[in-house]
Amino acid sequence: MLKIENLHAAIDGKEILKGLNLEVAAGQVHAIMGPNGAGKSTLGYVLGGRPEYEVTDGSVTFAGEALLDMEAHERAAAGLFLGFQYPVEIPGISNVQFLREALNAQRASRGEGPLSGAEFLKLARAQADALGMDQEMLKRPVNVGFSGGEKKRNEMVQMGILDPKFAILDETDSGLDIDALKAVGEGINRIMRKPDKGVLLITHYQRLLDYVEPDVVHVLVDGRIVRSGGPELAVELEREGYAEVTA
Amino acid sequence: MTGTLDLPTKRQEAWKWSDMAALEAAARSDHTAPDVVPSALFLDIEGPRLAFIDGVFDPTHSRPGPVQVTAIGEASEHPLGRLAAGEGWRLSLDKGAATETIQIVHIGTGADNHVPARIELGEDATASVVESYAGTGWANRLTQISLARGARLMRSVRLMQSAGFVSIRDEANVAEAASLVSVFLGAGGMGSRIDGAIRASGTGAYAEMGGALLTRGEQRQEAAVVVDHAEPEGSSRQIWRAVAADTSVASLAARVEVKRHAQKTDGEQSLRGLLLDRTAQVNLKPELEIFADDVKCAHGATVGELDKRALFYLESRGLSKGRARALLTRAFVGDAMDRIGEEAVREAFAEDAGRWLEAAL
Ligand SMILES: Nc1ncnc2c1ncn2[C@@H]1O[C@H](COP(=O)(O)OP(=O)(O)OP(=O)(O)O)[C@@H](O)[C@H]1O
Ligand SMILES: [Mg+2]
Repeated sequence: MLKIENLHAAIDGKEILKGLNLEVAAGQVHAIMGPNGAGKSTLGYVLGGRPEYEVTDGSVTFAGEALLDMEAHERAAAGLFLGFQYPVEIPGISNVQFLREALNAQRASRGEGPLSGAEFLKLARAQADALGMDQEMLKRPVNVGFSGGEKKRNEMVQMGILDPKFAILDETDSGLDIDALKAVGEGINRIMRKPDKGVLLITHYQRLLDYVEPDVVHVLVDGRIVRSGGPELAVELEREGYAEVTA
Repeated sequence: MTGTLDLPTKRQEAWKWSDMAALEAAARSDHTAPDVVPSALFLDIEGPRLAFIDGVFDPTHSRPGPVQVTAIGEASEHPLGRLAAGEGWRLSLDKGAATETIQIVHIGTGADNHVPARIELGEDATASVVESYAGTGWANRLTQISLARGARLMRSVRLMQSAGFVSIRDEANVAEAASLVSVFLGAGGMGSRIDGAIRASGTGAYAEMGGALLTRGEQRQEAAVVVDHAEPEGSSRQIWRAVAADTSVASLAARVEVKRHAQKTDGEQSLRGLLLDRTAQVNLKPELEIFADDVKCAHGATVGELDKRALFYLESRGLSKGRARALLTRAFVGDAMDRIGEEAVREAFAEDAGRWLEAAL
């Protein structure tokens, strides 16, 4: 459902992605691992449509459409979700206000009617409960004063509410305590493990993959996928390190 | 307007950002049919209502309650305020009295109009006054406020003229333990000058004057406020936000003076500007003049653009660029609008700001 071919992307004139190829079929979870600075978050931003990144070559097809031709909000409406490595704090806008407007904007562009305030609150509360997030946090300004782990949980609550077709989750496991890791892992399975959905899981650690078992594991080094394999590749990486595995 | 106007010039420091040319042009504009009716401007809340059309009281759209329409004698030395003489309105409340929210609507159709006003609250009296400016021409106002011990006034003013100019001069005296909160919203198409001189003259007086100026096109709006702490234990807040798009200019000058005797004064000044376009301009001038040694005065002044990371975060969840910008901008002015005590008024002002954003972004 997502096909990336020969993707080259640069920021501030510096090439970060250098001919990346990747294909995720519907129903699959792919993990991406790789050293710091390899370009994993860059890949997420480029797929999400962040304007500062310039795509210099290559193509991305998502559900049959040319993803790179769409604006960020159109990609969201088409069913793409980006879970941020560093979720942004937005003072003065509450989580519910933001998410209700986001969901209704997505619904509108799919020709669906808006959810009322009451309908939305019911949905948001159910998702917060499922992820073990305090309902009071829904009323607070987006991510403001949230701990690192709370921000990541909030990303998953947002994913639950928006119910995307495809999720790119950038280090959603980092900064989580043991219980939160389990809740987030279960959340990903519950929301995204479906025959018509797909996930790209960016992570540094095997432990999230214990909960969300990937179909394919890729190693991203210096802007390219240098090796792909089954779940055992993650175990091997954890044991031996990137230098050994990609040598 | 006939004859010549004796207006301040840019050479005077306190008027260097002012757009007196726009004021003069508005003053010399011809009358046209009104583009708005009073009923469209009154909020749906109980209480006395007054309408002034081109500065003249309009009894058919008014039920003034305790507000008297009368000649106001007091003079001001302010270069614009002193022009507002003759018939105006007066609210005098006795000790302990309270009123429902008073709404005053001013509609201009061209040329110039001047209305003086007086608000006098006796000890522990409370009042809330909401004013709305609409139409065109030059509306010039002088409002003199005197709050006796323990009195409380909430004053909310929105400048919504489609064109022309609005100049407002407030002169206030806040006695012991009295509280004045004034919030202004400039969200129309006119030029403006909001001018305030507030004297916290009693122990523990509370004075607040702030708001949001939203400018676009070639518009210029400005606020210039001085709060003077003369007695101990007073507090003041000046929370202003300026949002400028296109080639417009929004300017904020805020000054806090703390006299030697005014120990334990707590003053807060927060001036923040947001540029929606690189061609727009925000001028900020925060000033503190402190002669007492035991005071707490926090001040900050910053100008910036919308946070790119926040914009992308919102867009990545499905909001269009325009909506994402509007949400972030509304949040930016929210701090200033939140100071309005009454929910219905606060919401109406927020909607006006929202409408401005829809049009500007
Ligand atoms: N504005 C920029 N100008 C130049 N280089 C940049 C800019 N932004 C990011 N980079 C560089 O791009 C490279 C890839 O960054 P990216 O965030 O994609 O790495 P990552 O694989 O996600 O790393 P991590 O595991 O630490 O999260 C890094 O070397 C980073 O320094
Ligand atoms: Mg990263």
